[in-house]
Amino acid sequence: MRSRLLITGATAGIGLAMARRRAAGADLLLTGRQEHAAVRDRLPPGAAYVAADQSSPEAAAGAVRGALDRLGWDRLDLAVLNAGAGHALDPATESAQSIRVTLDVNLAAAIALAQTLLPFLENASGKLVLVGSTAHRGAPGFASYAASKAGLDGLARALREEWRGRVAVQIVHPGPTATGMHEKAGHDPGPIGRMFARPETTAARIEAAIASGRSPVTIPFARYAAADSLTTWMKR
Amino acid sequence: MKRALLTGGSNGLGRALADLLLQRGYQVVSVDRSGGAAQPAMLHVTCDLADRHAVDRTLPAILAAGPYELAIFNAGASATGRFEDIPLDACLRLLAVNAETPLVFATALMQAGAVERHLCFISSLSHFTGYPGAAVYAASKDVVAAYAKGVRKPFAAHGVSVTLACPGPIRTAQAERHAPPGADAARRMPPEQAARAILDATLGHRRLVIPGAGPKLFALAGWLFPAFVTRQMKRLIFDRLDEAVW
Repeated sequence: MRSRLLITGATAGIGLAMARRRAAGADLLLTGRQEHAAVRDRLPPGAAYVAADQSSPEAAAGAVRGALDRLGWDRLDLAVLNAGAGHALDPATESAQSIRVTLDVNLAAAIALAQTLLPFLENASGKLVLVGSTAHRGAPGFASYAASKAGLDGLARALREEWRGRVAVQIVHPGPTATGMHEKAGHDPGPIGRMFARPETTAARIEAAIASGRSPVTIPFARYAAADSLTTWMKR
Repeated sequence: MKRALLTGGSNGLGRALADLLLQRGYQVVSVDRSGGAAQPAMLHVTCDLADRHAVDRTLPAILAAGPYELAIFNAGASATGRFEDIPLDACLRLLAVNAETPLVFATALMQAGAVERHLCFISSLSHFTGYPGAAVYAASKDVVAAYAKGVRKPFAAHGVSVTLACPGPIRTAQAERHAPPGADAARRMPPEQAARAILDATLGHRRLVIPGAGPKLFALAGWLFPAFVTRQMKRLIFDRLDEAVW
C-alpha cells in the first residue's frame, strides 16, 4: 500500500520541496493558505490539496479533517506540520496583531492539527513531524517567531513521551533557507542571504532527520550552507 | 511613589509577589480574572486574560495607570492530562493567557513607554525538560522563555531589563488541582520564597532566575540529559495522572 502523507504549508519553500521529493512514491495531501486554482500549477501532479489558513487554527484543522474524509483516508503514515509565518522587526514595535497571527499560524494551528490527526496517525502507527527553526532558542530580530517555534519544541518534547509506542513525534529545526519567507517577513538578510540553503537542500536534510528517528534534530546552518555554496561554485 | 504592574496578582505566586511589592513600598496594579482583597496601594483591574477582546479593551486603562518601574507577567493557567483529552478550546485559552497576552502586554508597555526599568516573564522549570501530561502548558511556557531571551537585548536598548523566571512546583491551589493524586505538597516551594527570588532577580537585572536549589539542579539535569529527564517526568507525572483537568 502506498504511504499517505500530509504536508502543511506546501505551496512554496521547504514544504513544496518536500512534496516534490515525495510525490512519486506516496499519496499526498497538501495545504496552503491560497485556493487550489491559484497554486495548482506548481503542485506535483496527482497531489490532493486543501486551503487551510492557519491564522484560524480551529478552521484550518477542520478543513484538513474534511479533506481527509473526502479522500476517504482513515490513516496517515506521516504528517509534516511545516506551515509557518513571522515578521522581522524590532520587538519593541511589534503589534498585538502580528504577535497573535504568528502564534496562531505557527503554534496554535499545530496544536489543533495534532489533536485532529492523532487517530489517523495512530491507525498507521505513523509519525508526526513538526518543523521548528534554529531560532527557537530566542532571536532579537524576530522574537515572536522564535518564541512560537520554541512553543513547538516544547509541544514536541511532551508529545514524544506521551505518544511513545502509538505515534512517533519528532521536531526538526532547520536553519536559514532561501524560501521567500524572509521577503514576506520584511527581512532583508543582505549578502549573507546568498548563503542560505536552497529549499531542496533543507527538504533533503529534513527527510534525513525524519529517517533518523531522532528528536530534536537541529540542521546546522554552516554545514549545509557550505555544501550549497560549493555546489553552486562547481556548477559555474 | 514607585509603581508595579503585575498580572494574576489575586492568587498563588502572584499574590505573594503583590504582598512583597506592597511591603517594599510599591503601588501595585494587578490585572486578574477575579478581583482580590482590597488593600490600600493596590488597584485590581478585572480582565479575562484569555480573551483578546477583553485584553484590547483593558490595555489603554492599564497603560494610563503607569508608568511602571517594573512589570511582572505572572498570570498563568494549566491543563493537565493526555494532550488529546483536553478540549481544543481550553488549549487555545491556555495559550492566550500564558503566551500571547504576556507578549502583547510587553510590546504595548514598550510602545507606550509605560515601563521604565524592568520586565519579568514567568515561565516554568519545564523549559529545561519537557512536560508530558501538560503538553500545551509546556509549549506556552517555552514561548515565554524564548521571547524573554530574544527581547533582552532590544529592550535593553530602551533601558528596560528582561528577566526570565523558571520556577519549579510552588505550593498553590493551582498546583494542587493539577498534580497527580498522592503528590506531596510539602515538596513544593512556598510562594513567598519563590516571590522573593523572582523579585530580587528582576530588580537586579538578572537574565534568569530559578528559585531554589532543587529546581536549579533539576534544570541542570534537564539541560544535560533532556531526553532522560523528560522520560522521568513522564513516569512521575503523566503515568500517574488519572484524569484531564483544565
